[in-house]
Amino acid sequence: MEMTPDETTLFTVWGVGINETVGYTWIVMILLTVASMVITRNLRPDVPPNRWRTTLEVIVTAIQSQIEEISPRASRHVLYFSGTLFLFIAFSNLLLVVPGFTPPTASLSTTAALALSVLIAVPLFGITRQGIGGYLKTYVQPSVVMLPFNIISEFSRGISLAIRLYGNVMSGAVIAGILLSIAPFFFPVVMDVLGLLTGLIQAYIFAILATVYISSATATVGKPLHKEKDK
Amino acid sequence: MSIDWVTVAAQIGNFLVLVWLLKRFLYKPILNGIDAREAEIATQMGEAEVAQKKAAAAEAEFLEQKQRLLADNSAHAERIREQAEEEKDALLAATREKLEREKQDWQAHLEAEREAFIRQLHLASADTLYQLVRRALRDLADEDLEEHIALNVIGKLKPLAEELTSAAGRAEQAIATTHSPLPENTQEKMRAALERLAPGLSLSFTTDARQAPGLILRIGSVQVAWTIDSYTDELVGLLTERLAAGGSGRVNNHG
Repeated sequence: MEMTPDETTLFTVWGVGINETVGYTWIVMILLTVASMVITRNLRPDVPPNRWRTTLEVIVTAIQSQIEEISPRASRHVLYFSGTLFLFIAFSNLLLVVPGFTPPTASLSTTAALALSVLIAVPLFGITRQGIGGYLKTYVQPSVVMLPFNIISEFSRGISLAIRLYGNVMSGAVIAGILLSIAPFFFPVVMDVLGLLTGLIQAYIFAILATVYISSATATVGKPLHKEKDK
Repeated sequence: MSIDWVTVAAQIGNFLVLVWLLKRFLYKPILNGIDAREAEIATQMGEAEVAQKKAAAAEAEFLEQKQRLLADNSAHAERIREQAEEEKDALLAATREKLEREKQDWQAHLEAEREAFIRQLHLASADTLYQLVRRALRDLADEDLEEHIALNVIGKLKPLAEELTSAAGRAEQAIATTHSPLPENTQEKMRAALERLAPGLSLSFTTDARQAPGLILRIGSVQVAWTIDSYTDELVGLLTERLAAGGSGRVNNHG
């Protein structure tokens, strides 16, 4: 039984094999980008929003409000990062219902890449907000003794994120594979529905945890910050 | 279960590209659109607030104008009422004046009619009295009234002989005017009597239907008259008094 899409080559470009993980990721990227471009191409204040634009606005403002609940002083960069995580994972998991489509999130490489992105983004957001000194100080809080534990905690976050996402998506695929061999005509439908639900929940959890980590890295004790806007 | 690190690197790259793409084509347009719409809504709310304030001001002004108009209307109505009152008074005064004038005219007319009636009564009475007396004298005493009148006048002239002579002066003609022609013998008697009083004075006789029965003698600027006017006046007075008493229901006994 095929367990990871990394090993399946979808097509080859200039002698370089593109596996299913990367290929389907590109499809998801193209779909998300094209849909965004089409919906937001005629965006003027005097034009009343249509159904699709309203849907996008609801999604974006919902993500924004979730982020603001976790971190009231969060900048828009957090929205770009966490929002993209959510949309990518959710969209990939929703495409599970498309026959022949393998979600990129079913690959441990993808979940690991996303977890690594979070792992890198957290200190970057922290440094951006507090400066290098201020951010590094957080590793010796509340005392220097905590330095190794903080470092272990930092890495374990990324690993747990990666494994959680992979495990959930992959478990769905594995269970579907097993049940498909037992009852090939009934269980796939149920499992697909279940997969949609768990896929959305995983996307939500992944994005929320990433936001929590970023907000904990960017929080400054006793120094209120104004909400940052894009330059 | 294995991790392909090349794929991991590619996916990290893909993810970063997707972040940029969504930032460029999704988040920024959507958030900017929302901000612009919020700004527009805020502007519209501000404009609405301004419009509301203007409307409130306009309403206050309208109410003030309405109050002023009502007050003006009341004053105007009061003024019109006063004018109507004045006009009514003027009309009443004019009507009263007109009525008074008509009453005066009517009274004047009544008076004129009364006078005309009395005059006619006077004439009729005089004529009737004259005829009655004349007939009575003729029937009872076989006497002529005109002759007696002429003789009575001559009798009255005797005490006035000197006055007549001086008053007549150089007058040579005396004129005797009667209501109806005098008999010839009466005329002769009067001429003879006047010749005795004023020698050289000739006497001529004329008649005047408008004159009361009797005789009027004019010598120069002197005039001696005997008519039944005084009797007629008394008769008319008595008749008028009787008529008035009859009209008012009173009975006045004049003996």
